[in-house]
Order: sequence, then structure tokens, then C-alpha cells
Amino acid sequence: MAVPDFDVIVIGAGHAGVEAAWAAARMGRRVGICTLSAETVALMPCNPAIGGTAKGHLVREIDALGGLMGRAIDATGLQFKLLNRSRGPAVWSPRAQADKRHYGRWVREALTSAPNITWIFRRAGRVLVEAGHVSGLEFEDGGAVSCRALVVTTGTFLNGLVHIGDEQRPAGRAGEPPTHQLAESLRAFGFEMGRLKTGTPPRLDRKSIDFSRFKEDLGDDPPVPFSFSTDRIDRPQMACHIVHTTEAVHDLVRSHIDRSPLYNGQISGVGPRYCPSLEDKVMRFPEKERHQVFLEREGLDVDEIYVNGMSMSLPAAIQDAIVHAMPGLEDAVVMRHAYAVEYDFVQPTELSLSLEAKRVPGLFLAGQINGTSGYEEAAAQGLMAGINAAQRCVDATNVVLGRDQAYIGILIDDLVTRGCLEPYRMFTSRAEHRLVLRIDNADLRLTAIGRAVGMIDDARWARFETRAARLDRNRARAATTRVVVNGLTGTAAEALGRPLVSMDNVVSAGYAFETDGVREIDAATLEAECKYRGYLKRHDAQQARVESQHARRIPEEFDYEGVPGLTREVVERLSAIRPVTLGQAGRIPGVTPAALAIVASRVRKLGT
Amino acid sequence: MGASFSTADTIVAVATPHGRGGLGVVRMSGPESAAIAQRLTSRELPFEPRHATLAVVRDIDQVVVTWFAAPHSYTGEDVVEISGHGSPWLLQSIVESACAAGARLAQPGEFTLRAYLHGRLDLIQAEAVADLIDAVTPLQARVAFDQLEGTLTSAVQRIDAQLFDLAAKLEASLDFPDEGFHFITRTNASADLAAVQTELERLITDGRRGRLIREGRLVVIAGRPNVGKSSLFNALIGTNRAIVTPLAGTTRDLLTEQVDVCGVPLTLVDTAGLRESADVIEEEGVRRAEQAREVAALTLLVLDGSQPLDGDDQRLLAETGGPRVVIANKADLPSVWSGSGIAVSAVTGRGLDELRAAIVGALSGESGDTAGTEDLRDVPRVSNQRHLLQLEGAVTAVTRSLEQLNQGATEELVLAELTDAREALEALTGKRTSDDLLRHIFSTFCVGK
Repeated sequence: MAVPDFDVIVIGAGHAGVEAAWAAARMGRRVGICTLSAETVALMPCNPAIGGTAKGHLVREIDALGGLMGRAIDATGLQFKLLNRSRGPAVWSPRAQADKRHYGRWVREALTSAPNITWIFRRAGRVLVEAGHVSGLEFEDGGAVSCRALVVTTGTFLNGLVHIGDEQRPAGRAGEPPTHQLAESLRAFGFEMGRLKTGTPPRLDRKSIDFSRFKEDLGDDPPVPFSFSTDRIDRPQMACHIVHTTEAVHDLVRSHIDRSPLYNGQISGVGPRYCPSLEDKVMRFPEKERHQVFLEREGLDVDEIYVNGMSMSLPAAIQDAIVHAMPGLEDAVVMRHAYAVEYDFVQPTELSLSLEAKRVPGLFLAGQINGTSGYEEAAAQGLMAGINAAQRCVDATNVVLGRDQAYIGILIDDLVTRGCLEPYRMFTSRAEHRLVLRIDNADLRLTAIGRAVGMIDDARWARFETRAARLDRNRARAATTRVVVNGLTGTAAEALGRPLVSMDNVVSAGYAFETDGVREIDAATLEAECKYRGYLKRHDAQQARVESQHARRIPEEFDYEGVPGLTREVVERLSAIRPVTLGQAGRIPGVTPAALAIVASRVRKLGT
Repeated sequence: MGASFSTADTIVAVATPHGRGGLGVVRMSGPESAAIAQRLTSRELPFEPRHATLAVVRDIDQVVVTWFAAPHSYTGEDVVEISGHGSPWLLQSIVESACAAGARLAQPGEFTLRAYLHGRLDLIQAEAVADLIDAVTPLQARVAFDQLEGTLTSAVQRIDAQLFDLAAKLEASLDFPDEGFHFITRTNASADLAAVQTELERLITDGRRGRLIREGRLVVIAGRPNVGKSSLFNALIGTNRAIVTPLAGTTRDLLTEQVDVCGVPLTLVDTAGLRESADVIEEEGVRRAEQAREVAALTLLVLDGSQPLDGDDQRLLAETGGPRVVIANKADLPSVWSGSGIAVSAVTGRGLDELRAAIVGALSGESGDTAGTEDLRDVPRVSNQRHLLQLEGAVTAVTRSLEQLNQGATEELVLAELTDAREALEALTGKRTSDDLLRHIFSTFCVGK
């Protein structure tokens, strides 16, 4: 066989696509990245922010594996906040406002300066398959390139339909045409598809708003970076502003609710419950007198202000009235109206844990096309799809992260095991090992894995090893140094284990904590290990018991049809998803403990 | 059980107890059961569902066949019940013919296992079936029946729902920190948890008594010779089982009887009077009495209320440690001492009800000597050791989370403990379980159920 034009082709250069291309290139593959325009690389069409609860965890993990997102936001963020700081280290989560144009440029330059990456500014058409395996990509205007693996990250572009009031137009993201031929090509593989919707709020002109009338919302000082490779963030930080809705606003929504496509039946796709539109907030929580709304800068060189908390799909004139009814926004000029977008997605149960399509070897899907919402969820999948596509090119084993190893592992396991009924967003409550999966130890959990596949360069690896060794020394000293805190004598580790005792308390009591400027991370790791120790010990013991049963592998060719006692639905679910382990089988909706017992008994009988 | 979790084949067993009876029932379950019944009885037409049909099993017996079509049957599968005459040989022959016609002999508990696998029963209900069959006292049967009706399941589900609601609010506080308000205050969370803790503890207290009712206990009657131990034994069991004479040392060996005391099945043991003896046989009897006392859950120490306490009495009062009930017997005679003992007359029956209540009270771990009778009218919801262990696991986790909360720990740690509590409750109802556990549970069943 002739050498193909590329090892890996990535379609789409959103947050999933850029990570996929970056990862495969880092691993030495020749990568082509196909997108319509250099202007929309790593675009933030909705909220100009990265991170948030659980999403911040994903970004740290992407960074620990050698991905781009953490470094990109550290270089371009306008305001950084560590959320949940009043709680324990397991739920601390970084979030930052991005300078969105700057962010896109930074990512584009990173890809451009990486060896092995070629930009293809053309419209993707058809996925080519030869002998049952992906062989290349044909463009809509003719011509084709060949490849060993293809990563599709087309976001909301499949049959995208934008709604602003009763106006509808086919579209992908703001101002971009939808993609038809590619949609048809994917459909032809016979994937199970679904329809979802999402929305975005209006953008206001900064120059038309008098910010002195609002309460300022400031970021952390000093800001906590996302990336393990960032020492500090020196950029000046900017404030956001807080506004509240009023009864007058709610009345406007209620009196025009029949003109909202979300409510009058015009939109059939399912939206995210956790990110409710203004219509949802008003109609579903009638007892709430006001809702909080943030005015967020989209960038230093951008006049658009993002009105976080006001996504809607009402007609433009009503949106104007609603904005003007907000105290302080009486004279605000709406630059772009809010809209809702409906789009097709591929049920991710069509994919294996490596994000490769079960029906089409060599084809990987990542991002919103798999039913997720959020840049971070997309980037995490993009990274893993890129890594596995690169592995596929050289027939190396898949990299699959466990649920006890990373939020990324939970994300992908949930998607391919349970499928999507609404846009999937990561939450810390999805993590059954939440106290283990922290932002402070993402590097301890994942950097060695990144290193093994070639994602982590020597400088980064050396930095990691220094940190790990220092942490070990800090741990050893904490176990032996005796301190008196709040009248109680004990080791520094014991003191730190008590609720309400902080690293600062222990250090002032005489514990010599070794630091080098990334103190936040080392202190957090140590504090978490001490605070959660009792629980983690029990958890480990329990984990070992559960593990032996759940880790049992189900043979690849296991025939569920031939297992008596399983209901029709259960046989169909199991046959479609083909779980790798009994643990995964048990997480499939509708698989009862009784059904699992039947399968386990049969698997055991086969003596695997 | 060499349990197969397979439900593909048709199983058959005699469902009525072994031995001769007016009627005996052979039960079949599985996809072929109706067809096999048809073959056995050489009928051309299929049986009509839910109709009792007179038929003849070739060369064996005249029978009544009832077909319960799936899913409206005990197992959720096609079930056929064949009522024949209650001769063990006849019933066995029908089972053999069924096997020859394609059925397989059922394993113990396999019918109920299938009911569980088909979702007809939850785990607690399946266990209740075994208990119901094994019940020997009316109260045991009522406890088991309540569990079969789902009393415990719904109590556990109520608690789990409370925990779920609390967990959801704590999770929301973590996942939406910028919503500007807490979804639940520390004080409210603490109050909610305390309520759950109380409810769980109530179930556990219930469970201690429930286990007593389900499992029964060994109770030993002890005392020096001639205080009326055997008369008391006879009075409690209601027959003249033990020989009673005015001679000291009449009882030599241990006498054992089953007796229902306020619904609790007791194994009551009468023993030789405890005294130094030159008689070799009596000496052996005394040794056995002492051994019995060591393994018993409760000692009934019998004293003679009509006689001053002697050295042997004093020694026994000092020596019988552990749970005991002291009895001042012979209350029909003038009393010469008064103390904390329950005044009983084995002859007239006076004080026996009070004694029964005191026995159950002492076994339930309740302090008061008269505690018990009132409570015993309530049917405890928990009676099974496995359930009790899971409830104890749940209450331990809830208590830990409450401690964490009150000491100022934040939501994520409290939630970790709550997850443990909820897992214990899910293991209890079988919402989460391992196949090893299922194997174990169903292995305690009898064949035919």
C-alpha cells in the first residue's frame, strides 16, 4: 500500500479538533487539520470562559497529559478564579474569563509552529472507506486526501438550525454555514443519531453601558494558573459585573412565551437542564424574584459584552425590550441577539472506549458531535481521540483512562456506556472517586501516561519529577514533625487532617514546608491526603473488593443472544454497547443486578 | 446451590413437604412447562390458563393441572402446578415423568431465584419467602409476611430517598458555587442527617428483636436442687415433660423442648440441680448443666421463695453472670424473703406471664424486667442478620458524616460518607448486589420453592 498523504486527518478546528491534531502531531504522526477558516480556530461561540466546577478538573487533566487548553487560557485569560475555595481541595476548580480572539490566535500559532501539522482550509465532504477501514477524506468541491485515521470534530454543524424567535436558518455556529455532505456521509454509516439544542445569550456593546452602576466581581489575587507548566500569571486582571433580573423582565418573558421556539414546539431537540435559558428560569422557578446575570468582557480588543445567564430564543424585538428592562441596561445596544441552535449528534454508544466508531475502524469522533456540551468536555475527547488515532496508525494499544484515574475517563465511560439523552456536561458528582480525582494531583495521576505515549517533552518531565520528589520530602516531614495546633499536639500530618486546620496554621506551628512558588499545588496535595486520609483508607480497601468483580473482562465475542434469562431490551443494550468489563456492563441503563448476575455467571463459566 | 442463573430450561420439583398427605403438589416453571404437562397427561388440547383441569398422568395418578401463563405467575415464567394424591411415591413418579419429558430437577430456591431474576420479588422479599416457609411461631410468620409485602423495602426506600434528597442539595452547592446561594445550610443538613440516623437506629433496634424472633434463643433453667426447676420447665412448655418428685436430684440429664414465648421460639433446657454430689451420674448431670449455662443466651436462675436462701443459692447468685432472670419460685407458699426476683408459682401459674415478658425483655437487650409485652405487639420490620449488618453499615456511615458535618468538614467529605450509607442500603434491597451474594442467599432455600 502506498504511503498515505497523512497519518491522521482531523476535521474541525474547535476545541476538540485542535487538541486531537496537537496530540497526534506530538506523538510524531503527520497530521492534516481541515477547517473552513483560520479565523475560527478554537473559537468560543458561547461563553468566553474556560473551566468551572469539574470542567476545571478536565483542563488540568488535559494539561497533565500534554494537551493545549491549560496553557492557552493561562496565556490569554482576563480574570481567574478558583471556585469552591471555601471547601476541600477535591472540589477546587479553576475558571477563567478568556480574551477570546487572543485565545484563538494563541492556539492557531501553537499548531502552526508545531512540526507535522498541515492546515487544510477546505470544506470536508465524504469519509472514504477501503476494505472496511477509513482510507481518506473527499472534499465537497472535489479532490481527496488519504490517511490512516480520521478524527471528526464538527461540533453543532450537523444539520444545524438556528432559531431567533420565529426566524429560522440553517447554520453551524454564528455566521457559519452548516455542513451537509459530511452529515450525509456519516449518516450513511448507519449511526444512531439524536437531536439536541443549545443556546447563547445576547451580546451588548460595551460602549453603551455605564459599568459604574453595577457591583464589580473581581478575580483571585494572585490568580491560580491552569497549567502545571505555568509559574505565575502576570497579565492584568479585569472585573466582571453583576446585574439582576426584575419582575418587569419576568413579565416580558411570560407575556411573550408563545413566541419562544423553546416553548411553542418549534424546537424539538433536548437542551441542557443545568444551563437553563431565561425562559426556563422564569417559567420553571416562578417563586424566584430575581436571577443573577454576569456581564463578561469577551476580550481586550472586543466591544462585545457576554450576558451570562440570559440565553434565550425570543424574537429580536422582545430581546431588546428585555435587555432594556434590566436596571442599568436601559440604554444598552444589542450587537448580536441571543439564539438557540438545534443540531444532530451521533449517539456515543456507537463508539468504543478509545472513541473509535465500532462500525468504521479508523474513524474517531470527538466533541459536541458526541452529545456533549462545553469546550472542556470537547477538548478532553479531542485529546484522547487524537492520542488513540495516533496509536491506531502504528497498531499500538489504545489509551483508555479508568473512572478512578481521571474525569476524562468518567466522561468517556459515561458517553460510550450510557449514551446521551441531553447535552452531557461534566460535574464532580459524576465521579465516584471524587476525593481522589483532584486538580492538585492531575499530574501525579496522568503525566507518566502522557510521557509514555510521547506527549510530554523532556523539560516538562524533568519539572514533574522535581515536583514529585519534593512532594515526597514534604510528606515524609509532615509525618515526623510534631506540632501544636489549637492546643492539640501531634504530627503535622495529623494536624492537617483535622477540619478547619490549614497549611498556614501548620507552617506557623513549625512545620518546614518546602516550596518553590507552586506552593498552592503541593500544599493542596498534602492537605487533601491528610484531610481525606480516613475516608481514602476505607475507600481503598473497599475498592480492592469491588475491583476483583468489576474488573473481570467480558470476552470480545461474547454472545448475549445465547444467554438465557436476559430480557430482549437488555440483550439489545449489551450487544450494542459491548461492555469491556462486568463493571461497565453494570453501568448500562436497564442492566439490573439480576441481569448482571446472569452475565457474570456465564462469563465465569466460560472460564476467562 | 450449584446455582445456575440460567432460566432457559424448565424446572420441576415436589412443592409440598415430604411424607404422606391428602394432596401433594408438583410444580414446574419454565418455557416448556405447559407443553410438558400436556405430554404427561396425553392431552391433545393445550390447558387453559388459570383453570383447574382434571387430567390423568399416564399409569400414575388422577390429577388437577393448573397453568399460570407468564408473566402472571410466582416466577414470572410459565408455571404449571399438578395436584395429585399425597403419596411420596406418586409425586416422585410425576416428577420423574416430567424429567423424562424434558424438565430438569430444580435446585433449592430455584423457583424463588427465578422470581427474583424476573423482577417479581426484590431481594428482601425473596428472603422473606424462605423465612415464611420456615416460620414455626405465628409472630415469625407475621414478620416474614410483612417483609414479603414490602414493609422493610419501603422503609429502606424512604430512608434512601431522604439521603438522596440531602445528597442532591449538597451536590448542587458544590457544582453551582456561583449561583449565589447555598442549596442547604449546615444546620439543616445536620438536622436531616440526625433524623435519618434516628430512623436507622429504630430499624436496628427493631432488628435485634426481629432476629430474636427469627432465630430463637437457648434458655437454660438453673438453680440448686429442689427449687422447682422442672415444675417451671413443665409450666412454660405446657406439658408434663420433666419428671417432678419431691426428691432432690431427680433431674440428672439435660431436657430440651421448643417453646413459643411471646412469639419468640426458645429452646428451653432443664438442668440438674447444682450441688456437690457423690453420685457419679448426678455429678455428670451437674457438669452438663454448667456447660449448658455457658452457651445459653439467658439463664433463668430459680430460687425457692418459701425457704431462706442457703449457701448454694448465694453461690449461684454470685456465679451466674451474663444475662439472667432471677425467679422466686413457689409463690403459692408464704414468702420468707423478698428481693428482686420475679415471684412465680409453677403450680398455680401465678407470675408466668410476667416471667415470659421478662425473658423476652432480657433477650432483646432491654433493661426493664417488665419491658417487652407491649412492644411485642408491633411486628419488627427487620429480622435477618444480613439486613441488620447492612443497616449497621449505613448508620455507621451516617454517623460519620454527621460528625464530619458538625466538626466543620465541607460538603465533599460529607457526601463521600453519604455515598457509603446509600450503598449499604442499596445492597440491602438488592438494588446493588454481587452474584456471590445471590448464590449464598438462595442456597438457604428448600427445593420446590
